[in-house]
Amino acid sequence: MTAPWRRSPKRAASGEGPWAWLAAGSVAASLALLALLLGLLAVRGLGHFWPADVAVVTLDDGRQLAGREVKEVPLSDGDGRERLYRTGNRDLDDAIWAWVDLDEIHEVDHPSGLVVLERRRWGEFIGRLEAIETESGERIVGESTWLALERRLTALAAHRDSIDVLRDQTIRPLVHRLEAGEATLGEREALAKAQARVHERQAAMPADTLVLETVDGRRLRQPLTEVVRALRPNAMGVTEKVVTWGRDVWRFLSEGPRAANTAGGVWPAIFGTILMVVLMSIFVTPFGVLAAVYLNEVAHQGRLTRWVRIGVRNLAGVPSIVYGVFGLGVFVYGIGGHLDDWFFASSLPSPTFGTGGLLWASLTLALLTLPVVIVATEEGLARIPESQREGALALGATRLEMLTRVVLPMATPAMLTGVILAVARAAGEVAPLMLVGVAKLAPQVPLDGEFPFLHLERKFMHLGYHIFDAAFHGGDVQAAMPLIYATALLLVLVILVLNLTAIFLRHHLRSRHGTLPKY
Amino acid sequence: MQHTPSSPPLRRHFRQTRDRLATALITAGGIGVIAAVMAIGVFLAVEVVPLFWSSTDTPRINLETLWLPQDYEGHRTPVHRWQPAMPEEGGESRFGMLPLVWGTLEAAAWALVIAVPLALGAAAHSALFMSRRLRARLKPTLELMEAMPGVVVGFVAGLVLAPWLDVHLALGMTLLIILPPGLLLAGGLWARLGAGLRRRLPMGWAALWLLPWLLLLWGLSSWLAPLLEAWWFDGDLRAWLEVSLGLDYANRNAIIVGMAMGFAVMPSIYALAEDALSGVPKSLVEGAEALGATRWQTLWKVVLPAAGPGVLSAVMIGAGRAVGETMIVLMASGNTALMTASPLDGLRSMAASIAIELPEAAPGGTHYRLLLLAALLLFVFTFCVNTLAEVVRSRLRRRYHRMGGAS
Repeated sequence: MTAPWRRSPKRAASGEGPWAWLAAGSVAASLALLALLLGLLAVRGLGHFWPADVAVVTLDDGRQLAGREVKEVPLSDGDGRERLYRTGNRDLDDAIWAWVDLDEIHEVDHPSGLVVLERRRWGEFIGRLEAIETESGERIVGESTWLALERRLTALAAHRDSIDVLRDQTIRPLVHRLEAGEATLGEREALAKAQARVHERQAAMPADTLVLETVDGRRLRQPLTEVVRALRPNAMGVTEKVVTWGRDVWRFLSEGPRAANTAGGVWPAIFGTILMVVLMSIFVTPFGVLAAVYLNEVAHQGRLTRWVRIGVRNLAGVPSIVYGVFGLGVFVYGIGGHLDDWFFASSLPSPTFGTGGLLWASLTLALLTLPVVIVATEEGLARIPESQREGALALGATRLEMLTRVVLPMATPAMLTGVILAVARAAGEVAPLMLVGVAKLAPQVPLDGEFPFLHLERKFMHLGYHIFDAAFHGGDVQAAMPLIYATALLLVLVILVLNLTAIFLRHHLRSRHGTLPKY
Repeated sequence: MQHTPSSPPLRRHFRQTRDRLATALITAGGIGVIAAVMAIGVFLAVEVVPLFWSSTDTPRINLETLWLPQDYEGHRTPVHRWQPAMPEEGGESRFGMLPLVWGTLEAAAWALVIAVPLALGAAAHSALFMSRRLRARLKPTLELMEAMPGVVVGFVAGLVLAPWLDVHLALGMTLLIILPPGLLLAGGLWARLGAGLRRRLPMGWAALWLLPWLLLLWGLSSWLAPLLEAWWFDGDLRAWLEVSLGLDYANRNAIIVGMAMGFAVMPSIYALAEDALSGVPKSLVEGAEALGATRWQTLWKVVLPAAGPGVLSAVMIGAGRAVGETMIVLMASGNTALMTASPLDGLRSMAASIAIELPEAAPGGTHYRLLLLAALLLFVFTFCVNTLAEVVRSRLRRRYHRMGGAS
């Protein structure tokens, strides 16, 4: 079809009337909104990891402060603008933010000697590194201080890694056996030995003290073991910054959260999301395909089937929170409560399965996404020409053989599309999870080296809930914002990739089998 | 399979038995799965019934206490209140459902106010005006928009848009005033362009080349906003709102919720409405054009009347989604159970209430059952609305089929 309005540009020019432009504008506005949202998430989410320069601001009255520029807004009383700096040093200032009136700024400088320390407590420190005092009372000052600090931090990281490995792989399983009263004498000895090794490692950590000074001259003595990382952003070149940026992104993806979910990484949340979604797809795929095959291939195609089909389709439109309520009432309180009474009576009143957990969450989401899989599979089945089925039957195949050898292989891409769409929907759902098993902080991931390896009753962390929790239950939202952006970006990326795969598959399917016959 | 013609009777018997067994299993499994999904409604109803049954519970619950204003301590006149007292705090629980229902409907209504014009405009444009290549790209893009998780939209609305609008209220209002005339102006200018330039900026691609124009309008608005605020509202829009209209501006309010949820439901309305509009048989469109109608006249006089039920069902499905959306309302509204008509106040929806309160409520208690009643209301509402929309849609499809346009 060639567009007729292009053939007669003259009439189109005068005749379309003004309203057509509002219609065009609403498409443009929707696209702009979408681009704005994605752009915002991308810029803020990725920009957070960039090691930006630290400014030393000298005010007119001689006061000095050091920090990273966050934003600039007009003053509330009209003229002039003010700028927000993130200054860190919560232990010294009781706050990590400083508002500065632009008119009061005398000078802004970026001295290369400024260090940014990331600490286990109190967050960031921004200031100068004066000296390192070693255990033996030695004092390292001057040029070599920074190099000495870097060397020590590398050694410290190695120590920490080895302690973590010991804790996770040796001590924790032994402690569990001890608690269960199953530990043998040999195991007790092994535990004592491992704990001694941990103490040994901890003692071997360099117990040096850093002497730090803020830009306005206050001194601080900081034990080295508390320091996670040290940077001199002003002294770094662009390549070095890119490398640091990449490493920080990786740390965000691979580490656990710190400071009440306002700092650190999201690895447990990623892991929890993926594990939950995988379990869900294991539940939903066979049942969804079964129901679709029944509806489309086995059931008598009458009025009742049509109504059931409409009903199933509509269940996809039922709010997710309703599924959450169902999951809580039936799975958690109903089935879970009974399971506890029967099998885990020894640990009552503290519930085992009678509270939200991984199993119930994935079952609830499986129920929630069941209609998606059924509808997609049915579409795929309806697309297969009747001649294929008739051919198979004519050659003497039974119905089961016709289904398993001819129909289902042809419908595989459709099923796959359905499952991917289900996964994409499930990965973004948060509301039902709040009722059936998500946790703001789950120290133990539900999959580990202890029997039975997969702990279906444990609570788990979830990317979407992590966003909600950090945004609404954290203390300092402003400080958590960059991390929320990064988490949101990650979640959106995961869902976009899943959806794109589904769209691609569906397109592929359409071009192979033609369009769907409408019923 | 290859032995089929000469397979011994025993083998054939085995195959037939297996087939019958499998068919029975599929039937049982299929019915079981479908029954399990349908069980949701039954479960909710069964759990809610004891609420009106047992009379020993305190506070007493009946239809009157739920839906009519009640006398509470500390209020001179009967009022609607939703104030479940947490067990550890003690005190009297107040269970009037109306504030929650009101909040739910208010949020959904504002969402539709934002989403419906955008979605229907976009659907009309992409069904009738847009070039086919762009349309093939646009539909998946808006599908991606639909897949945007509610928690992300809610976060952006609650923590980015709300504080921004808090400061730039005048700019937001100016944008609302400037954008429609600005787009009309774009149309006027386009008609005055030379034919060569017009061919380079075809109507079919307007969705893309209007983007820079929107940016320009944004710039114009941010220049105009302080001036407008100074002329009309004495330099402070919020003070003016408070003094002359008596409206108090809450940081997270119904408008913010409406914008965020409008963004979330717009793609689904668009997709269904576009299907309905573009499914109208070509013969009708071509007939109208042959008689000399412009495309807009064709849309208004021919396509829209034919596809009207489909468009309506799209809006209904959008309404169903808006009513049940949880995370956006939870994060973008103040979660205050108010019953005011002011769009600048906060609200609390049923879905958000369930999400917050249900994990705390004691199973089997009054509060628990009331929240389940809210869930039941949500379920019944969305199920009915969706069924209605689906019936309308399937009727429409058959009608198109009769009209001869195989779409």
